[in-house]
Amino acid sequence: MAAALAVAGVLFAKRALFLWRLVRKAKPTERFDDIPGRVENEVTIVLGQKKLFQRLLPGVMHALIFWGFIVLLPTIVMALVGAVNRDWSFPWLGAQGWFMALVDVFILSVLTGIVMAVWIRKVVRPRRFDGSHLGEADLILALIALVVLTLLGWHASRIAAGMNEWPAGASFLSNWVSGAIPFPRVSERFFNWAHVLVILTFLVYLPYSKHLHIATAAINVFFSRTRNRGRLEPLRFDVPDDEMRLGVNTIEQLTWKEMVDSFSCTECGRCQDVCPAYNTGELQPIVGNGVPEEMVWDCVTCGACVHECPVSIEHIDHIVDLRRDLVMMQSSFPQEAESMLRDVERIGNPWGKPQGDRASWAEDLGVRVLEEGEEPPEILYWVGCAAAYDERARVAAESTVKLLQKAGVDFAILGARESCTGDPARRMGNEYVFQAYAEQNVATLNDARVTKIVASCPHCLNSLGKEYPDFGGQYEVMHHTQLLAELVRDGMLSPARGESEITYHDSCYLARHNDVRDEPRELVAAVGKPVEMPRNGKRTFCCGAGGAHMWMEERGTPINEERVREASETGAETLAVACPFCTVMLDDGVRSMGKQLRVVDVSTLLVESMED
Amino acid sequence: MKVLVAVKRVPITGGKMVLTDDGQAIQTRHLGFTISPHEECGVEEAVRIVEAQGGEVVVLTLGPPEAEDQIRECMALGADRGIHLVTGEEWDAQATASALVEAIDAEGPFDLILFGNESADASGFQVGIRVAYALGLPVVTGVKAIAAADGRARLEQEVPGGRDVYEVPLPALVTVKEGLNLPRYPSVPAKLRAKNKPVDSKPVTRPESKLEKLRLVVPEGQGKQAEILGNGPGAAPAVVEVMQKLGVA
Amino acid sequence: MSVALFFEANDELSAQALTLAQSLGEVRAFSFEGPYAPAAWASALIDAAGDDDIVGPGSERGNEVLAHVAAQLDLPFAANVTDVRGDEVTRQRWGGTLLEEARIHAPRKLLTAAPFAFAPSDSLLQAETLRPDVSGAVQVTEHIAPDTGGKVSLADAKVVVSGGRGVGSSEGFAILEELAALLDGAVGCSRVVTSAGWRPHTDQVGQTGTKVSPDLYIACGISGATQHIAGCKGAKKVLAINADPEATIFAHADYAVVGDLHEVVPAITAELKKVKG
Repeated sequence: MAAALAVAGVLFAKRALFLWRLVRKAKPTERFDDIPGRVENEVTIVLGQKKLFQRLLPGVMHALIFWGFIVLLPTIVMALVGAVNRDWSFPWLGAQGWFMALVDVFILSVLTGIVMAVWIRKVVRPRRFDGSHLGEADLILALIALVVLTLLGWHASRIAAGMNEWPAGASFLSNWVSGAIPFPRVSERFFNWAHVLVILTFLVYLPYSKHLHIATAAINVFFSRTRNRGRLEPLRFDVPDDEMRLGVNTIEQLTWKEMVDSFSCTECGRCQDVCPAYNTGELQPIVGNGVPEEMVWDCVTCGACVHECPVSIEHIDHIVDLRRDLVMMQSSFPQEAESMLRDVERIGNPWGKPQGDRASWAEDLGVRVLEEGEEPPEILYWVGCAAAYDERARVAAESTVKLLQKAGVDFAILGARESCTGDPARRMGNEYVFQAYAEQNVATLNDARVTKIVASCPHCLNSLGKEYPDFGGQYEVMHHTQLLAELVRDGMLSPARGESEITYHDSCYLARHNDVRDEPRELVAAVGKPVEMPRNGKRTFCCGAGGAHMWMEERGTPINEERVREASETGAETLAVACPFCTVMLDDGVRSMGKQLRVVDVSTLLVESMED
Repeated sequence: MKVLVAVKRVPITGGKMVLTDDGQAIQTRHLGFTISPHEECGVEEAVRIVEAQGGEVVVLTLGPPEAEDQIRECMALGADRGIHLVTGEEWDAQATASALVEAIDAEGPFDLILFGNESADASGFQVGIRVAYALGLPVVTGVKAIAAADGRARLEQEVPGGRDVYEVPLPALVTVKEGLNLPRYPSVPAKLRAKNKPVDSKPVTRPESKLEKLRLVVPEGQGKQAEILGNGPGAAPAVVEVMQKLGVA
Repeated sequence: MSVALFFEANDELSAQALTLAQSLGEVRAFSFEGPYAPAAWASALIDAAGDDDIVGPGSERGNEVLAHVAAQLDLPFAANVTDVRGDEVTRQRWGGTLLEEARIHAPRKLLTAAPFAFAPSDSLLQAETLRPDVSGAVQVTEHIAPDTGGKVSLADAKVVVSGGRGVGSSEGFAILEELAALLDGAVGCSRVVTSAGWRPHTDQVGQTGTKVSPDLYIACGISGATQHIAGCKGAKKVLAINADPEATIFAHADYAVVGDLHEVVPAITAELKKVKG
């Protein structure tokens, strides 16, 4: 037995060391900020199983097994020592009746969990397991079951052999089973060794299997983003060639967090379930397949996967890092996106339209354009490229300025001095172009002494607010719905509530990446009767434009049509949005599907409600 | 193969031409800059030839100090060296050609010299041809396919009704058109390396202009009043009526 | 005062150049026979012209030959001229979307006429035919005819249905192809479309693409950048279809339809089919 322990120990240690070295050699990432938040996540997500409970049944199933094993941990020590020294007893704890009662309770809970798991896998068979290693999963469930069954057998045998250090009656289950144990002293050894063997097998198997998450998940959760979910980590270009990392092409280029991500995946498939690209296209499954190149480009960076993942894997980092290598090193990317990149780089906006025309939409509206050297306004309204150049997106900007003027807000726009924030370039992986624009915009904003910015576009909001601080730009950035909601609350704007039913679509970059969900709803409730779509708030379904997809072609069923279908099923006549990309994508979807749905920005609804 | 490509920094104009107050130039305050698409294809072609056969690609430009940006862009595509003739003024085609000839002579013989068919801005159609005469080189223009090897080049010129083929001995001067190839999207390492490649800059003085620019004028007819036939698919009958009136339907 | 004119028979641009030449003096026109060899043709033209001003059409060939003349004589050459006043000319820049007024400092003028800047002259012309010796000169050795599959070429089409970014994809062009086929026209596109890989460069209309001169140019989902306008200036009439009422293209169009081309173009096709029976 001692030999078995030693062998298992060595095998496990070798493999663990190999994995540890992979992590050690991996690229750096800054993950030590906000320690309190990280500790909070450990408590709620790991101990509290918060993300698993986002799906009730599987959540309960897992919690029963997980909490079971927390309680059963001491029994593993007892078994390991007991295997070589049958008379050893865990100091104090081994004699506690209440503890052994607890053990029995949790043996039952684990077994219940296993039964539920088997039922889910064999009867319910959810689609999210497509692509995962089903055989491996079955093996793991069998091993877990064996662990607790052999433990039960061992405790029962000890009672039957009179070797229990604890009051037998306390451990009701073991006590009950003990009556059926033949040859108690032999069985006691048998079950102890069997229990240890199963554990050792598990131990050795663990670092080769997807069950590795039991070692790494807690670590992975700790090192995930607690805030600034929309912020991508910048790359450095001003370092010597051999230190420069421009994305990921081989394993060595993963950051250590990305490495731990890959160790923590259990192939549960929840990410796949919520991925808009996967659900509307003909994709290969994420799980079990590495990352096929089409998937790299099909991602819309909506973050549904990250939100859903119980072990806090951050899929977007992986996808963007793969894109970075493809775009910046290999120049390999969908051709239709090339003009967008060139236009952003050479002209300053992804539409390739003249920068000089940026304020044309505002010409007749009496909007102040902040010129160089002038006193800054209280609020800078960052218009964004879409509103400047797209006729459908423009409407929201027109409405917003009308409202700001009506409320007497002191604001101005930058006009031609506003360039693309660089978001589409960054999401495509062209970090180089993004940084050039970030630096340029920060210089413009800092020279103008801007401190407060309101943006209508959630992508601009995210870059300005969450990503520009990395480049010296610290501003108070809010979404136009947040300012408008504040104005309504303060009585500066008085919308009239109408009778029409309005369903509000949460933009990914607003609701998930930046946690703005309530204010747009306040506005919708102020002008009409809100109706929620099934996938709302943090679980919203993307419009399809993210990840630079506004400029790429769609394969499979368009994502926007899927969302339009969901919206029209609410029965509402109006689909309210708060993002220029969502406006265009959902309006396109409504037209191509011939639905009777009016896609309109929340700000426009507000203006209209005040006109009548 | 030693290949020279001549390029010119031009603004990326948008939907309308706006002039400076003195009417001497385009207002470029918010415009981006580039080289003409014809020239970009020329640089790409030169780089491809040298990648296949060895040699070097030299980029030559006559322009303002900022034109170095364009030289670096060409280097990101793969050009090895740059020659920058620095001037703050606009030169006419004849003067440009002499300055380029002087620089090319100083550089020693090239196997192939590429120009854009015409510059995006002045569109004089003549600088390449003048340079060829001064250097005593055969010249073919409007080329959309080049096969250069072993001291000869086979060139395809686009003409109405197809393509004309020319065969010339090297060295030769060829003016090319967009469509010659699809220029690559430079990788970031290439862009970073481009920052360190050598550029030989020297100031040049403009001679008297024989085709003297007096002023620029935006032509009328920009700001036409279009007759609105309708909105959306409902305008179809009105459109067909116009087509019948024009005799095309 | 006589003027030498490089003239190509049955060429509308030459007919327009004739008008320009006639405004400058008594025209002596010269045509060529034999293989095209621009340097040799230019020398012959120089010999024939004596000290006269030399005018040519603003075609590719006209500009090339005149440029050779200018290089051989080392004199200034003003290409694509729209007006001449003594020694001052107005010429086209940026494919015609900008004009330059310039003074020629030379004993004689070398000019080409900007396409469609002059009305074609209907004078009956006796052109002298030159047959220069082109042996040894750079010349055309072979002509490759395109395999258009019988379709109308962009440069010759009477109707061009052109698509821009608004079309959205290469499949989106199907509705434009249908309309073009119905009108015996050709399909063109803007530079954004060729960059995206949706159509080949041979379909590109613009300053660096093909310059077209149809009776009707239909611009669908094209914003109207000057480099594109430079390609369709020769159109007699332009119809613009765009969802954005502020699109720049409308400032260059004769007719406008504000709407989504994906709805408007099929509607026009349907209406045409109805009318044609």
